Amino acid sequence: MKVLIVEDDAEGAAFLAHGIAERGHEADVARNGRDGLVMATGPQRYDVVIVDRMLPELDGLSLVKAMRAAGSAIPTLFLTSLSGIDDRVEGLEAGGDDYLVKPFAFSELMARLAALARRPTLGAEPTVLAVGDLEMDLIRRTVKRGGHEIDLQPREFQLLEFLMRSEGRVVTRSMLLEKVWAFHFDPQTNIVETHISRLRAKVDRGQATPLILTLRGAGYMLRASN
Amino acid sequence: MLRTRLFRTSSFRLAAIYLGLFTLSVLFLGAVVYLVVHSQISAEIDQDVEGESAALLKEYSAHGESGLKATIAGRAGVVNSFAYGLVDASGKLTAGELVPPPGAVGWVTLREPENDEPGESAVDVRARVARLDDGGALVVADEWRSAPGPMRALLSAFAWALAATLALGAIGGVLLSSQALKRIEAMRSAAQAIVAGDWRRRIPETGGDDELDHLARTFNLMFDRIESLLEAHKAVGAAVAHDLRRPLTRMAQRLETQLARESARPDTAAALEAAIADIHAVLATFNAILRIGQIESGARRAGFRPVDLAATAREVVEAFQPAAEEEGKTLTAALDEALPLAGDRELLTQMVANLVDNALRHTPAGTHIVVASARHGGGGRLAVADDGPGAPEAERRRIFERFYRLDAARSTPGDGLGLSLVAAIAELHGMAYAAEDNAPGLRMVVELPKPAGPPSAA
Repeated sequence: MKVLIVEDDAEGAAFLAHGIAERGHEADVARNGRDGLVMATGPQRYDVVIVDRMLPELDGLSLVKAMRAAGSAIPTLFLTSLSGIDDRVEGLEAGGDDYLVKPFAFSELMARLAALARRPTLGAEPTVLAVGDLEMDLIRRTVKRGGHEIDLQPREFQLLEFLMRSEGRVVTRSMLLEKVWAFHFDPQTNIVETHISRLRAKVDRGQATPLILTLRGAGYMLRASN
Repeated sequence: MLRTRLFRTSSFRLAAIYLGLFTLSVLFLGAVVYLVVHSQISAEIDQDVEGESAALLKEYSAHGESGLKATIAGRAGVVNSFAYGLVDASGKLTAGELVPPPGAVGWVTLREPENDEPGESAVDVRARVARLDDGGALVVADEWRSAPGPMRALLSAFAWALAATLALGAIGGVLLSSQALKRIEAMRSAAQAIVAGDWRRRIPETGGDDELDHLARTFNLMFDRIESLLEAHKAVGAAVAHDLRRPLTRMAQRLETQLARESARPDTAAALEAAIADIHAVLATFNAILRIGQIESGARRAGFRPVDLAATAREVVEAFQPAAEEEGKTLTAALDEALPLAGDRELLTQMVANLVDNALRHTPAGTHIVVASARHGGGGRLAVADDGPGAPEAERRRIFERFYRLDAARSTPGDGLGLSLVAAIAELHGMAYAAEDNAPGLRMVVELPKPAGPPSAA
């Protein structure tokens, strides 16, 4: 994964670049909005761009708008200390794909970057998702494991669909809260954990190989047995 | 509504008091004039009667009884206002028509025998009786002129004047007080808007120089002062939260970098992880403070859309249900009554989630939590009720304050901001909120404003 970091704070940029490199990815840094735009639309192909909202020369929102106007579809993640309620909506409306408020756990950032970088290209939407012997029919809204139908509540279905679409990647608690429940806040009660354990009871109980894995301190992952 | 309030205004009361005093003084003046005029008229009539009587007595002393009789007979034929009576020593009427009471001398009141006009009742006349040398008596009275006639005219004039005074005074009072009421209404609506959070609102100043203008200016100065104090207060909190975020974020980043290097040593790694978690918790609290401030600023209202709070609550209940069951509690929805309003779905979701979170965190296993919607006084009402230990009344009132935590809740995790956020979101939507006694347990209630109808009379 090749990441472009557009961040004016030297230390913050170095922290990001270092952390990303340490996890086995490449990272370039642009120190202002104008340089960021030049690099993002230049010959070097990036898989994902991290953009700080507040930048000199060209602010983050304008940068992403300009990128989109120039025909660049590189997935973009806004990184900001602005926790404002409208800021996320503004960022997404400007053409951003995700939004992360500082401070964040690095695992959260990496999970979101991975999700963005592997975002499927526009094409025919699959009508059936399959991971190992687990099959989901998106048209008939049915789920089968090893040929046996599994009865899921609508929300459990959504949760499983998101996990299956993210097959092999880490999904964090807050990603699930946002995508499955549209909760853009973190409740004190751990609602994700209990929903996952119910889903797991239906999908994995009595199976030789569990598909839904819990990654301590990071999140969850659905994948076929290694 | 305006009319009943009109009569309660202080200026109307003042006008009524003045009107009462004025009426009393008119009555007093009337009484004085009445007495003076009455005595004046009576004195004049008495003088005339005395003069006539003296002239007749002179006639008697010059020409005797027969001369007097002839004079009376002659005068009675002439049109004048006097009436006469002459009686002999036995009391028999010998001339005229008035009969004096036997033995009376000087001024007496006689009932005049009214004969020819049956419709007219007998009237009392004031008559003067003089004794003659032969034992007879002469009575003279003025039968046409008497005090009550002019006095009646005078009284009716006063009555009309009084009626006019009352009418003008009442109209003036109403006009005066409705004028004052309009300005006081303007003050009241401005103050109410400020209470509702519109800190920029001021009382309209007319530029005049009366007491109400002074009052309006003084209030506006007070509002300016309160606004600047409030802003300074908020700015301090926001500035602290804002300015400390950057260094704290860097600190967390450095610790994370260090953590990556030190991962070989488990004890150091654990300490670093704990430190990072603490910093994140502080930053989360700062973000919550800034978020509450932002919601309180009201800027979010621009993006309001039609939302059904009951449907939002249903989703929240559904999300929390498994977690509640895990904790050995039941969480049920009684949300059949729709609660439509113009609002921010994301914030309303967080509001309900915070209420449910709160109920879950401060109750023991076995608690029943019910999220219910209901019609309530024209609007709607959403309640999150539990049958847990509840909270004493004094604490229930403070529960929405920032960083306020019940003594009993000190040991449970939480930043003391969850319910402040609930309060901020409720206020943003014009909803009233309260913590009530569920007997047993706690019932958190938000009340929707009545759906927008015609604005109330202003």
